[in-house]
Amino acid sequence: MMISDIKSRPIYRDLAPEPTASGHLLVVEGETLTPALLAAFASAFGPVAPRLHIWLVGGPQDVGAHPGRLWRLGSLADVEDSLSCASRGFGIGDRLYVSGTEPFLWRVAEAAGHVGFASGQIQLHHAGSLRRRVWCTHCHSITDDVTTHIADCAGCGRHLLVRDHFSRRLGAFMGVMVDAEAPGQVPAREEVFA
Amino acid sequence: MIGDTLLLRVDAATAIAPTLRHLRLVAADGGKLPPASAGAHVQLSLKAAARTHRNAYSLVSRPGARDAYEIIVRRVEASRGGSAFIHEQLAVGDTVEAAWPGNLFPPVRTARHQLMVAGGIGITPFLSYLAEFGLSGASHALHVCCRPDEREVFAPWLPEGANVDFHWDADGHRLDIPALLAAQQAGTHLYVCGPAAMNDAVIAAARDAGWPDSHVHCEHFGTALSGGEAFRAFLARSGIEVSVGEDESLLEAIERAGVAAPCLCRGGACGVCATPLLEGDAEHRDHFLSPTERESGRLIMPCVSRARSGRLVLDL
Ligand code: FES
Repeated sequence: MMISDIKSRPIYRDLAPEPTASGHLLVVEGETLTPALLAAFASAFGPVAPRLHIWLVGGPQDVGAHPGRLWRLGSLADVEDSLSCASRGFGIGDRLYVSGTEPFLWRVAEAAGHVGFASGQIQLHHAGSLRRRVWCTHCHSITDDVTTHIADCAGCGRHLLVRDHFSRRLGAFMGVMVDAEAPGQVPAREEVFA
Repeated sequence: MIGDTLLLRVDAATAIAPTLRHLRLVAADGGKLPPASAGAHVQLSLKAAARTHRNAYSLVSRPGARDAYEIIVRRVEASRGGSAFIHEQLAVGDTVEAAWPGNLFPPVRTARHQLMVAGGIGITPFLSYLAEFGLSGASHALHVCCRPDEREVFAPWLPEGANVDFHWDADGHRLDIPALLAAQQAGTHLYVCGPAAMNDAVIAAARDAGWPDSHVHCEHFGTALSGGEAFRAFLARSGIEVSVGEDESLLEAIERAGVAAPCLCRGGACGVCATPLLEGDAEHRDHFLSPTERESGRLIMPCVSRARSGRLVLDL
């Protein structure tokens, strides 16, 4: 499901720190952090470790050895708050790396955009579940944590078919009413974004 | 007045410094001019005795002004011809043909902070930026590197409250470019316009400080070197061979031969002059072709690029 021929579908890559950047901030969704992933971060970020800060959002209490300085944040909302706190003074030469599920990646990216990060300063790496954030094209509500190809809209209750069309601004996939033509005829739900 | 060209009349011409001439150009028919935005330029056709020079100049008039276009022209040593013509021959009342104004260097209006670095006459595009930022209230800073005696020259174009710093080559007054670039907040856009060496130094310093390319902008106008070793070029479609002198560009030689070649910036930035290269080894000096296009050796930008060795054959 990560492969699609729809152009708006983002492509995620392994994080590759840019050595010329002045500061490096790695924001990790804790529940997706596996020992293998931590080892991959340790080797990728080793060279820039003196200028690396890691924000670990939730997840394991005991992380073990890691490069850079580690900060713990309780939730995604704390990341958004900390980013928008202007006194942190993010510079134009800094880089932001985000690792986690898609809803996590795009909410962090959006918050970073608000404080002036350019898309060229941000790298996104997918880890963990494929669950989606869905934007209802009818009532414009967001439904989080969708794992099935058909989901109920949290706003209007319509049965939405989760498309592959992706909005970077909303960090969400488009959901369109599945039974618009024949009301009540809703195909069986399948777990496709586990 | 819709058309390819505008006919302008020189309404006023003033020497604002020994090497700087300010021109106020109005529509020859007394009508209104097309409006231009901050960072825009106008390309003039200057009919000198030997040939027509087509040079582009940044507009320093207020963005959107329709009564007149104002430009400031520096008399360059070893002039490419156009600036000498403006300084020595153009007089009040003369008419000049011009292309509609274009803009290859507009400010990014979503920037959180606008950081401008100018070298000498490279201040001109930023004079219209400052006029816009004065109105929009955009956060900005302009750093100008010039000779100490040039500081006052541009004062009439600096809006009140504009954030401008002058730097010159003396202890305590030099601009520390790496320090300036290291201390900028996220969301800042950098613009640089000056001599080629300065542009290159600022762009390199920005890279070293980790700036994303998307936030670094350079006006290459007339700053790319067009001279070099003399060489010959054969224009296959016209069946003409031209010789390109040491201090003229391939484009100028083509124009001298009377062959019409499209162009706009004449500085290797806009891409308008791209010409198929049929044979020969080009020395690419433009900022337009991608590395792959350069390697393919099939295109050349005659406004700045030359032959590395031997003869070039162009599809012109
Ligand atoms: S005229 Fe603009 S690139 Fe040559």
